[in-house]
Amino acid sequence: MRYGGDNRSRLLFVTLIVTSLFLITLDLRGVSLVTGLRHSTQGVFGPVQRAASDAFSPVGNFFSDIAHLGRTRAQLKNLQEQNSQLRTALVQRKDIETQIKQLKSVLNLAGTGGYKIVSAKVISQGTSASFSQSITIDVGANAHVTRDMTVICGDGLVGVVKEVYSSTALVMLESDPSFRVGVRIAGSQEIGILTGQGTDRAIMQLLDTQSTVKVGDVLLARGSEGGKPFVPGVPVGTVTSVPNSAGQVSQLAEVQFFTHLHSLGIVSVVLTPPINDPRDALVPPKPIPTPIPTVTIYATPPLGTATPGATPTATPTPTTKK
Amino acid sequence: MYTRRSINSVAIFLAVYLVQVMIFDQVHIPLGGFSIFLIFTLCWSALSTPEVGAIVGFFAGLLLDLAPASNGPLGQWALILSSIGFGIAFLRYGDDSLRSDPLSLVIFVAAAVVVAVTAYIGFNGLLGLEVGRTSQLIRTVIGNGLWTLAIAPFVLPVASRLHHAVFETREFQ
Repeated sequence: MRYGGDNRSRLLFVTLIVTSLFLITLDLRGVSLVTGLRHSTQGVFGPVQRAASDAFSPVGNFFSDIAHLGRTRAQLKNLQEQNSQLRTALVQRKDIETQIKQLKSVLNLAGTGGYKIVSAKVISQGTSASFSQSITIDVGANAHVTRDMTVICGDGLVGVVKEVYSSTALVMLESDPSFRVGVRIAGSQEIGILTGQGTDRAIMQLLDTQSTVKVGDVLLARGSEGGKPFVPGVPVGTVTSVPNSAGQVSQLAEVQFFTHLHSLGIVSVVLTPPINDPRDALVPPKPIPTPIPTVTIYATPPLGTATPGATPTATPTPTTKK
Repeated sequence: MYTRRSINSVAIFLAVYLVQVMIFDQVHIPLGGFSIFLIFTLCWSALSTPEVGAIVGFFAGLLLDLAPASNGPLGQWALILSSIGFGIAFLRYGDDSLRSDPLSLVIFVAAAVVVAVTAYIGFNGLLGLEVGRTSQLIRTVIGNGLWTLAIAPFVLPVASRLHHAVFETREFQ
């Protein structure tokens, strides 16, 4: 038999409905009592929820992960691919930034020296054919590059073009043992012959037996007839040591190249030499010494006493370190 | 007698509510999930007289209204659950054929959950609150109904035993 309910239950039901509607109205009108009640309840349940969340967080997404297993895998694969692409783009960006820096540097050098150049990208380091120290660049006869042209970069001399193809060229580096270039010392204008040694250092032999060379001297390319194979004024290196051995006919010096031959990205081939010799205009500026503050301590005896128990006073004195 | 029943009922409902808040609210369940508290409340109401069903629905609704995750006005769940609690008890109480048939009771509770969730969404819509996309709402309502069909057979025996212990009525087998 179905229970039909009586007037008492209906009255109770209506009372509850009216109470609910009353509460809704109060809440929607923003009565502070209702808002406070909700806030206090949340204050009680908040810590419970936080504790539960900490406890169940490892398994919180268990069902979701199972339900979306295929989708999650696909998403993971997609993200891995994106990550890989971004890493590649980042490496390429860094490479491009380096190339831009090198290009700016070599353009600056060429502009100061008055060289007409064509810039090229190094597409190969070394060859197993003829030269032990060489690079291949991506310009050739199509860019009016010919044999025995000087190749420079932002730091100075790189080498000389030895073979030219339609769209590429082979450059002998200045470090090659068979490489020789006439150089002069910036300032004193003493001249000599620099020979590659297969490393980042070379040996210079002064032509004048009465001339002297000292550590720190900057060497520039002396220049050849018609600017081939070397244009004048290109920085080559700096003297790092001067061996002093008796019995030598002429003075020798060990030279460190300005150019970092292992990290060449962008180089330029000098198509035409400058109208006027740039002389020493391309000598790299000396590094500016960084001041390092040092502290000097003076022992000042206290007033009225002459005892050795002096109180030290620290006085900073700026000095420079080269 | 009346006080003891009330205190026991409040303790039971608070315990179920804590289970809901501490466990089921922390787990991301697909298809919109389910509310063990809602299922338990409607099972309890279905086993009670219409007066008890309405009162239980009202106070359970108030508890849901006060829940931290509730976004509707205070009294919204109370209005919906007191109505549905009264309705489900009114339809169920004294119907011996239904009382002896647990499957129909489960279906009854699942239908009541669907009506409650739909009413809550509809109420929110009427009040101009954000209710989400229609497809998501349909999925939530259907998901709640399906989950209730799956969960209620486990909740119903527990609710029946507790209800019997509190009201000393015939236990649902």
